[in-house]
Parts: sequence; structure tokens; C-alpha cells
Amino acid sequence: MISTFKSSDKNSNSISRIYAIAAARVKMSLSYKSSYLITLFLNLVTITMYFFFSKLNPDMEIFGISASYFEFVFIGLALQFIVGTSLATVNGSIYNEIISGTWSSLLLHFNFAEYAIGTTLAGTFLASFSIFISLGVSYAFFGFSLSVSGIQIALICLLFLLILLSHMVISMLFAAFTIFYQKNSGIVPLLYQLTKTFSGIVFPIALLSGFPTVLSRTIPLTYGLEALHNVILSENIQWEVIQRNCLVLIGFIFCIGVLSFFFVSKSIKHSKKHNKVDWY
Amino acid sequence: MNFPQTPSNVTQQFANENDSVSFYSGLKAVFIRNFKILWQYKLTIIVGFINTLIAASLFYYIALLVPQNTIEQDGYIVSSISFIFAGAMLVDISTKILMKSMNSFTSEMRQGTFETLSCLPFGLKRYFLSEITFEVIYGLLISIVKYIPVFLIFPLFIGFNISWSSLLTILLLLICVLIFFFSLSLLAANFTILVKRGREISMVVVGLIHLLSGSLFPLDLFPEWLRVIAYFSPMTIAVRACRLCLFGNGAITSAIVWIAIIALLVSSALIIVLFNFTYKKIYNRIREKGTVHEF
Repeated sequence: MISTFKSSDKNSNSISRIYAIAAARVKMSLSYKSSYLITLFLNLVTITMYFFFSKLNPDMEIFGISASYFEFVFIGLALQFIVGTSLATVNGSIYNEIISGTWSSLLLHFNFAEYAIGTTLAGTFLASFSIFISLGVSYAFFGFSLSVSGIQIALICLLFLLILLSHMVISMLFAAFTIFYQKNSGIVPLLYQLTKTFSGIVFPIALLSGFPTVLSRTIPLTYGLEALHNVILSENIQWEVIQRNCLVLIGFIFCIGVLSFFFVSKSIKHSKKHNKVDWY
Repeated sequence: MNFPQTPSNVTQQFANENDSVSFYSGLKAVFIRNFKILWQYKLTIIVGFINTLIAASLFYYIALLVPQNTIEQDGYIVSSISFIFAGAMLVDISTKILMKSMNSFTSEMRQGTFETLSCLPFGLKRYFLSEITFEVIYGLLISIVKYIPVFLIFPLFIGFNISWSSLLTILLLLICVLIFFFSLSLLAANFTILVKRGREISMVVVGLIHLLSGSLFPLDLFPEWLRVIAYFSPMTIAVRACRLCLFGNGAITSAIVWIAIIALLVSSALIIVLFNFTYKKIYNRIREKGTVHEF
């Protein structure tokens, strides 16, 4: 039976396996329609809350940002929806597979990298609807208007990809813990809370001083968001800022990526050796 | 003990809570069991402290964005930090009670222990009352403890004086808020066992309460139609009344305060009536359909 599965796997390539995982995850998530719709609704509530807060007219010029507060916060919140998903997806999905007893079967057909990319793509695809709906609502009702050129779109895509990957590798690192101990560490929600507060999503990081500044500089989203604000909100793109922040993100992805692959392979070997792949 | 002969006899026996321990003993058992469970998750309590501190930091830095760092409402001008913290803390503490209650029922259903609890002679209704009483008391105490480091770190209420009458009025308001969330949790528990979506129900309610109560901004910023809708939530006027007592020397005689107290008590009473009205129907329905712990 195992050889049958293995021979069928040989007929497929990595891309089709990633696609299979992503498609399965999307179908599964959409079968929980109420949960998905509630997430969309809550994201809209968050945007609306900050829209009304922006009516207090916070002055962004003093932080060197030539945009309104709502334009500033919208970019951060839109990214927050995606980052939350990419941060939680790999680790959370593996935890659910272990509980459901399907993790051993997945390991037989897919390798860890394919699984991580597939689940993150599915999560991002679903979360992106929140952004488009929020964007539509903001254009229609909140007087939000933002125009971007071709070069800005290319830079946004590049930064978006780097931000996505940097949070995916963090989730992979926590997945190593989950696979090894077969329980959730509970650190991911804490990390998400830290990211939400100290990466400059709802206020400029120029407000921070002392230890919070150091903390914010350890969070990859800080660099991604700084570059994105520069691309979208600045009249003249500061290439050196974008270049520097992209390099930081690439370095982060490489270092954490290597670490996570190392720890995950150790964890998988350990669970196979002790015959508790999906034991819970 | 008389053993029931038909399914309706079984339902009747459980509904009448025959052969059950007293409510006090059951309540004590629920408290002891929940404390033992909580003790197993010590790390979660520590993480909760850090999470509260991080969330407080978020509110603090947002407050610094407000021009001149002051906000005006109901005739008083106050620091934006104090204004935002007063609203956000009240909403945060009270909504956590609802979230905790719903999460506990959802966990029981997910783990398959809900069926046993609902079929005990103690009775599902008394179990709801015991569980929610625990969550209200525990939620309140743990929130107060978790906010102590926040008070020590951030300059939240520096340089403001409060009279004894305002302080006593705030305590009265807090009791009314707790009664309101107790009754809301009871009603939400009813719908949780019917639709099996406790977490989702509480998330929607909490999201709307956060938006409509104006925890981050004065309600004058809402358009007229939204302000009318906002006042349908008793928490909106409760937050406004609490702020008035804290910053504007409001007391029980202030119109906003007594309207808030009446709104909270009347809505609590209505919710309890609705809970009683729907409880038996929902209980019978889930037993007849055999969906007690379906998730």
C-alpha cells in the first residue's frame, strides 16, 4: 500500500503537490463558512474603529509621514490580516493534523517545505479577501483614495512576498516544537500581539523609545512596513531604505529558515523514532 | 432512585433536577474543578500578564497620537491616555468574562465532556449558572491582577482627583456591568449549545461592543445614525458614565449615570427572561436531536 502511494507521488512534481495542499486547505477552510465570515466581519470592524479614531486628526507630518492617519493605518491593518495568517498557519495546521491523526499520512506524501508553502498560500489567499473587501468599503464609505504606479505595484509585491516568507519561517520554527512535543507552545499568539503593537501598524515607531525600540527592531514586520510606507506614502521613494529593509528581511528569512528546517527535521526524526508521529 | 421509563421521563427528571446535590455543593465542585484545570495551565496565566501589558502599550501609544494629547466629552477635558485607558479597560475586562464563559462551554463540547455535564442530575441550567459565576469572579480578579503592572508602568491617571461619591458610583456601575455580562453569558450559553459556535458568537458580540462603546474615541465622532445604534448597546452608555465619574465628577445624580444603571439593569432582566424562555426549548431540542456535544 505504501509503495502504491509512493509511486503515485513520483508522478507529481512539487508545484502540483503544493497546489494540492493549498486547494485542500482552501476547501476545508471554506467548509467553516461561519468562522470565515466572522473573521471578515471582525476585520471590517477593526478598520471601521480606526477610521473613527482617525477623525481625531492625528498629525502624521511630525513623524515625517505625508499622508492622513487613515491611509497610514490602513496599510498596517491590511498587512496585519496577512501576517496573522502566515504566522499562525503552518504551526496551527500541523497541530490540527496531529490531533486529527492525519499528520503521519501527510508526511508520507508530502515533504515539510511543500506542506508549509501550501498551507501558507491557502491562508494568504483567504485572508486577502479581507483586504479587498476592506479596501472596497474604505473607498466607498470612508473617502479613502490611494493611487499607485507600476513600479510601486512591483515593489509592493516584492515586499509583500518577503513579509509573507519571513512570518512563514517563524511559524515553521514553532512547528518544530509542536511536532516534537505534540502540543502547542502558545507563543505564537504572544508573538502576534507583539507584532501588532511594536511594528508600527497603528502608530509610527518614531513614538517608541528605549527598550520598545529595540523590541520593534527584532520584528520583521517593522522593516517590511517601514519600506511599504515609504513606497506607498512618500512622494519620492527612498531606495536606500527599501534596499536596506529588503536585505534585512532576506537575511531574516535565510537564518530563521535554515534553523527551522534543522529543528523540524530533527523533530520529525524524533517522532518517527519514538513511533508517535500523530499520537496525541 | 426512580429510574425513568421513557425519553420524556429522562428529560423531565433532568429538568427537575431530581436526586441532585445542592446548588451550593455543585457550585463549589465547579470552582474546585476549574481551579485545578487552571493550575495545569500556569504558563497561560503568565502569557496573559504579558499580553495585557502589550495590549496596554498599544493603547498608550495610540493615545499619544491624539492632538494636544487631550480629549473633550460631556463638558470635561482629560488626557487622551486616561480617556482611552478608562474606556478600553472597562470594555476589555467585561468582554473577557463573556469570552471566557463561551470558551469554556466550547471546550467542553470539543472534548466531549459536555454531554456528561448536561446529563448530570445537577442540571444543565445550574451548571451554566455555576460555570458563569466562576468565570465572572475569576475574570474580574485575574483582570485586576493583570492590570497592576500596567498601572505601575504607564502614567495612566496621574494628577486627577476623584470624590468619594464618584468612586462609589463607579463601583455601583461596575456591579451593574458585571450583572449585565453575567446575564449576557447565560443567554449566549443557550445559543452556544444550539448552534455550537460559542467562540464565534462571543467574538462578534465583543467586536461590536468595542466599536460601539467608543473605547478609543468620543462618541461625537460617530454620524447621527450610528450614534443612535450605539446607544442600543448598554455598554456604550456605561463607558460614558464611567468616564464621567472618573473625569467629570459624575455621581449617581448625573443623568448619564442613572440612565446607564437603569439601562444595564433593565437589559440584564430582559436577557434573563429571554434565557429562561428559550432554555427549555433549546434543551429539549438538542436532546431530541441528539446533538448535545456535536461540534
